[in-house]
Amino acid sequence: MGSHNEKSHLPPPLDLSRWSRLPAVLMIAGGVAALVGAGVSPKEFGLSWLLSFLFYLSLALGALFLVMVHHLTDAGWSVGIRRFCEHLASLLFPWLALLFVPVLLLAPQIYHWLTLPPTDELIRARWPVFTRAGFAVVSGLFFAVWWLLSSRLRYWSLRQDVTGDALCTHRMRFHSGWGIVAYAATLTGASVLWMQSVQYQFFSAIYGVYFFSGCAWIALATVYVIAVLLQRQRILAGLLKENYFYFIGVLFFAFTIFSAYNEFAQYFVVWNANMPEETFWYLIRENRSWWCLSLILIFGKFFLPFFVMLPVKVKTSLKVMVPVCLWAWLMQFADLAYNVLPAMPQYHFPLASLWIPFACLAFMGGFLSWVFLRQFRSHPPYPQKDPRLLEAMGISLPEEENPPATAPIHGGRS
Amino acid sequence: MSKKPYGILAEFETPAALLSAAEKVRDAGYSRWDVFTPFPIHGMDRVMGLKNSLVGWVSLMMGAGAFVSVVGLIWFANAFDYPLLVGGKPMFSVPMTFVPAYIMMIMGAAVGALIGMFAFNELPRFHHPLFAGRRFELVSRDRFVLLIGSTDPKFSPTATRQLLESLGGAHIETIED
Amino acid sequence: MAESTVIPEDLKPLAPPAELRRAPVVENNRRLGALTDQLSQFAEGKIPRWWWILFIPAAFCATVLLPVALVYQVSAGVGVWGNNHPVMWGLDIVSFIWWVGVAHAGTLISALLFLTRQHWRTTIGRAAEAMTVFSVMMAGLYPAIHVGRAWFDWFMFPIPNSNGLWPQFRSPLMWDVFAVNTYLVVSMLFWFMGMIPDLAVLRDRATTRPRKFILSLAAMGWTGSARHWHHYEKAYVVLCGLCTLLVFTVSSIVGLDFCTSQLAGWHATIFPLYFVIGAVFCGFGMILVILIPLRKWLRLENVITLSHMDKVAKLALVSGLIIAYIYSMEFFIAWYSNDPYERWVFGHRLFGHTYWFLGWILIGVNVGVTQLLWFKKIRANMKALFVIGLLINLGMFTERFVIVVGSLYQDFLPANWGVYLPTRWDVALYAGSLGAFFMLYLLFIKFLPFIAISEVKGATPQGNPHHPLGGAKGGRS
Repeated sequence: MGSHNEKSHLPPPLDLSRWSRLPAVLMIAGGVAALVGAGVSPKEFGLSWLLSFLFYLSLALGALFLVMVHHLTDAGWSVGIRRFCEHLASLLFPWLALLFVPVLLLAPQIYHWLTLPPTDELIRARWPVFTRAGFAVVSGLFFAVWWLLSSRLRYWSLRQDVTGDALCTHRMRFHSGWGIVAYAATLTGASVLWMQSVQYQFFSAIYGVYFFSGCAWIALATVYVIAVLLQRQRILAGLLKENYFYFIGVLFFAFTIFSAYNEFAQYFVVWNANMPEETFWYLIRENRSWWCLSLILIFGKFFLPFFVMLPVKVKTSLKVMVPVCLWAWLMQFADLAYNVLPAMPQYHFPLASLWIPFACLAFMGGFLSWVFLRQFRSHPPYPQKDPRLLEAMGISLPEEENPPATAPIHGGRS
Repeated sequence: MSKKPYGILAEFETPAALLSAAEKVRDAGYSRWDVFTPFPIHGMDRVMGLKNSLVGWVSLMMGAGAFVSVVGLIWFANAFDYPLLVGGKPMFSVPMTFVPAYIMMIMGAAVGALIGMFAFNELPRFHHPLFAGRRFELVSRDRFVLLIGSTDPKFSPTATRQLLESLGGAHIETIED
Repeated sequence: MAESTVIPEDLKPLAPPAELRRAPVVENNRRLGALTDQLSQFAEGKIPRWWWILFIPAAFCATVLLPVALVYQVSAGVGVWGNNHPVMWGLDIVSFIWWVGVAHAGTLISALLFLTRQHWRTTIGRAAEAMTVFSVMMAGLYPAIHVGRAWFDWFMFPIPNSNGLWPQFRSPLMWDVFAVNTYLVVSMLFWFMGMIPDLAVLRDRATTRPRKFILSLAAMGWTGSARHWHHYEKAYVVLCGLCTLLVFTVSSIVGLDFCTSQLAGWHATIFPLYFVIGAVFCGFGMILVILIPLRKWLRLENVITLSHMDKVAKLALVSGLIIAYIYSMEFFIAWYSNDPYERWVFGHRLFGHTYWFLGWILIGVNVGVTQLLWFKKIRANMKALFVIGLLINLGMFTERFVIVVGSLYQDFLPANWGVYLPTRWDVALYAGSLGAFFMLYLLFIKFLPFIAISEVKGATPQGNPHHPLGGAKGGRS
């Protein structure tokens, strides 16, 4: 790896002060446009708001996953990217919960089933979750779990910055242990209750996994871009070596395949069995302008990134990877739109009112990046005293300091 | 049997010693030299200036070829040569062909990778002049061996041997072709 | 990956405390030559008694029981099995899925852990790959005879013939043919290619002429040239990537056999993933069962260390947790979809008649027992791990039985209901294939390099040119 002459390869430090007002601009412009949208069409606004919310939710949940997996696998290399992943995950509460309030208020506009009489067979079968109170309580439960998880993980991580204690690592592992189970349950529940139920008749067992793969995918794309920025700003330059980008890139590539696998599995099983209670979902999406979106997703979300990232060396080439990551944001948004927007009454892709979701996206993006930047600045940029920090820097311990062997010696000539 | 030399071997104790010797051989201007090790040495590719292996491309081509052939085969068999309506499914459709074509693509790509590896390495070959080396059998055990070939323009039976000696190589041996 | 090994003074306080140190890939820190001796001595030494004790019954099952069961079944027809209306798929398909499953963990350990640069996988990768190859062989046996008229098996291959017969490519059962064959070929290629440098090790150590001759042929003339390694490593990465895809594909296709139908209990979009994870989970159980005795008997405790077994156990736990997730998704969707048939099938899995206890075994073992692996003490106790590995295999066999039979025996029409019980010929075939698997495996550990000798050496500090033990002078390189 090119660590020998890496220093000389680095271009001059990046100056991002010109962009410091961007979050505020996005927030104001997006907020105004979103308000106009809310006035024009509350239903479309509701779905658009939900869509943008889900987009950032997937990002934060993906980051939470990366943090937990770091602890569970006792990873060494990912120490450098962990701190900002913790900040991303901490957006879940209270900030994303705050952004969820409009969804809760507009729920009858967004979720058709809330307006159905309780005698409807499907609604009765899904009692008590499919009631207004059930919806609010379960949603609250999800946020409670995420709050507990993200705040505990960050608390012990920040504490380790001060004490350097191994106990903190053990606590973080403990929280990741129960956390990953709770995470799987809540993420699946959220994907079903918030996203799948916009077309409440549809059901699919892989839906939670499918949403999860999108979460991890978009989080890895974001992590890649943030890591590049931090390296170029010289904030993590000593820590982020080439292998970082290789690992994030490989994971990103793997999740490109995995999310395509999930989408294909869902489509293919539904297509092949051809049962009316499921196929209606894809029939909508195979007709009119939704067909184009389907094809954009097939080629844009899978084939393009797949073939671009196929050669091994590309994963460390920032010039290729950063555009792919930015493209991934668009594709993740399109993918969520593919799931959410067909719930609108007009059965075609809402090109004319597309500005509403983008306004919501800009507003939330501005707001959340403002929060994120504030948190990032008020804490050390990477875990200062993590026991794996040296390993992440590429310094391995001399063998003599390793613990004594526990296995007996057999055979051979020493 | 001709007594033409094939090259001169020198043996090193550790991978680091071999790596630094290889760097010096390269800096001395030799071009036709090789190292023989019990496992791949990290960083040796760079010292030897080996380009990215083309095995990946062979594999990709074979995989793509297999994919396209199977799609063609399915179209020919089920939609052209003997169309038979089963389960109300179309005679030919993309989702249907994808799975078998994909799995055969993996088969093609895997066979391609192996064939590519053998072809580029000129294997299998059951005789090699180096197998005559007295201590060459130790390469697969724990020795790290450097060979300077006699076809190298800078090769000279005495100067090359002296160079290898100065690099700390042990058991220097001239191998005959 | 480690570029430098000497800690600068200012960073010394950051060194991890003793409890968080990394375990070495190979313990005891032996020199490369001694390691080579240790790793190849079993393939070269005398055959120990325990090998014969295991080999003779396995060989009996493989060479007597299996042929008898096969010949009788093929000559008399599938009627000798318990399969009958409405349960047309019985123990044969259950065993098929189970064997495919056992194969998967081998590929996953070997390929995926290579791609993620887990050096510890070098010590158990070969053992796992061999498990894959042999169990795919066993898996392939079942569909070939399940068709009933095994002499017409060639109908399944697209061979141009005068009758104008072509395979029906719209059927998932046809995809199985391609999937299993591809899996067999690719896993054998992968296994063989990985073995070439180690066969060269054995060749160079051979003392007798016939041994030298055979191993020379098998090693393909490998010299260990850096150019060879260069292409070899590339091919290895490509094969690892393909094998990782295969892990996901082959079991997915087996899953598609079920879920592309409309049968309640089979039709679920998560089925492809379900079969993948189930396969991997079952395979990790098998890895534990195979490796725990072998590391002791082959005296490889310093190579297949406790830390490696701990990691395999963790992988089993992870796949077990995903399996638990998928079980709950199945029950959840049965509730959420409000489909009366789905609700019926899943209610009867636990509270039905005839097979209800299997549902509880399934949950009790795959979801319950697996949770023991959360505890470090259990993961460090080889006896406990061995038992858990056995139980996982039993649990996964039960799971496949529940899936196959549990959905078939009560379908949409009550008039169509029936009960399935395996006959002695079902059991004989399964026992025969188990015997054949273990026979092949025992032959493998005795005559071929059971540990990837070259890879293990490359993963030791002595093999790292940037490490002091590899001869590095120290300081930042």
